[in-house]
Amino acid sequence: MKNSVVVKGNKYGIVLSIKEDALIEDIKIEIADKIKEASKFFKNASSAISFEGKRLSDDEKQQIIEIISENSDLNIVCIVDDERKEEFKNAIETKPEISTEAMIANVTGGQFYRGTLRSGQVLESESSVVILGDVNPGAKILSGGNVVVLGSLKGTVYAGLSGDEAAFVVALDMWPSQIRIGDIIARSGDKPKKHSKPETKIAYVEDGNIYIESFSKEVRKDIKL
Amino acid sequence: MSEVIVVTSGKGGVGKTTTSANVGTGLAKLDKKVVLIDTDIGLRNLDVVMGLENRIVYNLVDVVEGNCRAKQAMIKDKRYPNLYLLPSAQTRDKTSVTPEQMKKLVEELKEEFDYIILDCPAGIEQGFKNAIAGADRALIVTTPEVSAIRDADRIIGLLEANEMKKIDLIVNRIRMDMVKKGDMMSIEDVLEILAIDLIGAVPDDENIVIATNQGEPLVGNNTLPGQAYMNICKRIIGEEVPMLDLAGSNGFFAKIGKLFKKN
Repeated sequence: MKNSVVVKGNKYGIVLSIKEDALIEDIKIEIADKIKEASKFFKNASSAISFEGKRLSDDEKQQIIEIISENSDLNIVCIVDDERKEEFKNAIETKPEISTEAMIANVTGGQFYRGTLRSGQVLESESSVVILGDVNPGAKILSGGNVVVLGSLKGTVYAGLSGDEAAFVVALDMWPSQIRIGDIIARSGDKPKKHSKPETKIAYVEDGNIYIESFSKEVRKDIKL
Repeated sequence: MSEVIVVTSGKGGVGKTTTSANVGTGLAKLDKKVVLIDTDIGLRNLDVVMGLENRIVYNLVDVVEGNCRAKQAMIKDKRYPNLYLLPSAQTRDKTSVTPEQMKKLVEELKEEFDYIILDCPAGIEQGFKNAIAGADRALIVTTPEVSAIRDADRIIGLLEANEMKKIDLIVNRIRMDMVKKGDMMSIEDVLEILAIDLIGAVPDDENIVIATNQGEPLVGNNTLPGQAYMNICKRIIGEEVPMLDLAGSNGFFAKIGKLFKKN
């Protein structure tokens, strides 16, 4: 019974998406595994949590939160239930005493990741993503916004997951095995090319095609945020 | 201070068992008390490579299940009195042992040995989880092939998620003649992707095949891979050893040339 739980994140906190027909015991084991894997990524962040899919009793929710705190340093501040989700979103978005830096982060909706993303690792975010490191072949980034890789990009990257074709991907060394922006997919050539000197490049959509070119001044002017 | 080292790779056939046998034997040659544990339950072969198959009475599963004491199952090596092998079971499977049991066993053996080398099975399932459970550091074995490197990368990610304290890389089966022609990835190419510390490179050499078939690890003898493995052992115990020049002394004519130089 694998993949009955998907751990997602949005700017309001962590979302556990649980399959309707999953058994609570399986769910617990899987959450423990997934949180353990992701604990390095979450570090000791404070976050709200919400549940999707299968209906859980308050008791079960509490048990899951205990599992999370046992397996990571993550600090779960509160549970957001479906009825109050909208209320919670509004509360966060209109929070008046938010600091300037936090405001900037919120407007551009960015998330940072430091380190190499290795084969089999997936980074999923509803906001834009900045990777301070390499994205190796076999690794995958799923982002609702833009993706910037300050390193070499050799894995798979999906930007503008919700269909946003204005999203773009920038990497210091651009060798992705596959790029998806919005609903458009491009893949690398079948013959491996000899590795040339690293060059910063951008991938964007124009007329239904993905173009990859140098990150020049002209291109930068056309970027819409 | 004893250290528990897991030898792992993800992909099969890249030289985990050969590396385990040679590193274990090499450390024993350096006067360390060493035990090799074969964690590949159901497909045991470290005992064959070590030439100790005919001495097996009890195995790892027997120890874990309490059918015998660890001391009874450990086979003393025929060449080095401070080297032991704890063989795996051939008639069971990976689920016969749990990570907790492995941790307990390793803790017990730590009191007696300087180095505990765990030969990990291929894959990332139960057998892998068992092997890494009690380990302090890992040696990742890879060959300069994209498939092996991809799997090694995945393994490194899993080890990092499990908070492995130290992860070092061994690039195995490298052929300098092919690297020079651009037909094989160089050590630098491999390091660029995996981005971990290199602890040694071992050339592809027919002597390895001969040694494996005879059940005599070649570490420390005057072949190039023998020297390479010995250097890895010295680096494991903390000595600083310069990297072996794999290109220079390779090949028949180079060896002849060397002979003349000596005279």
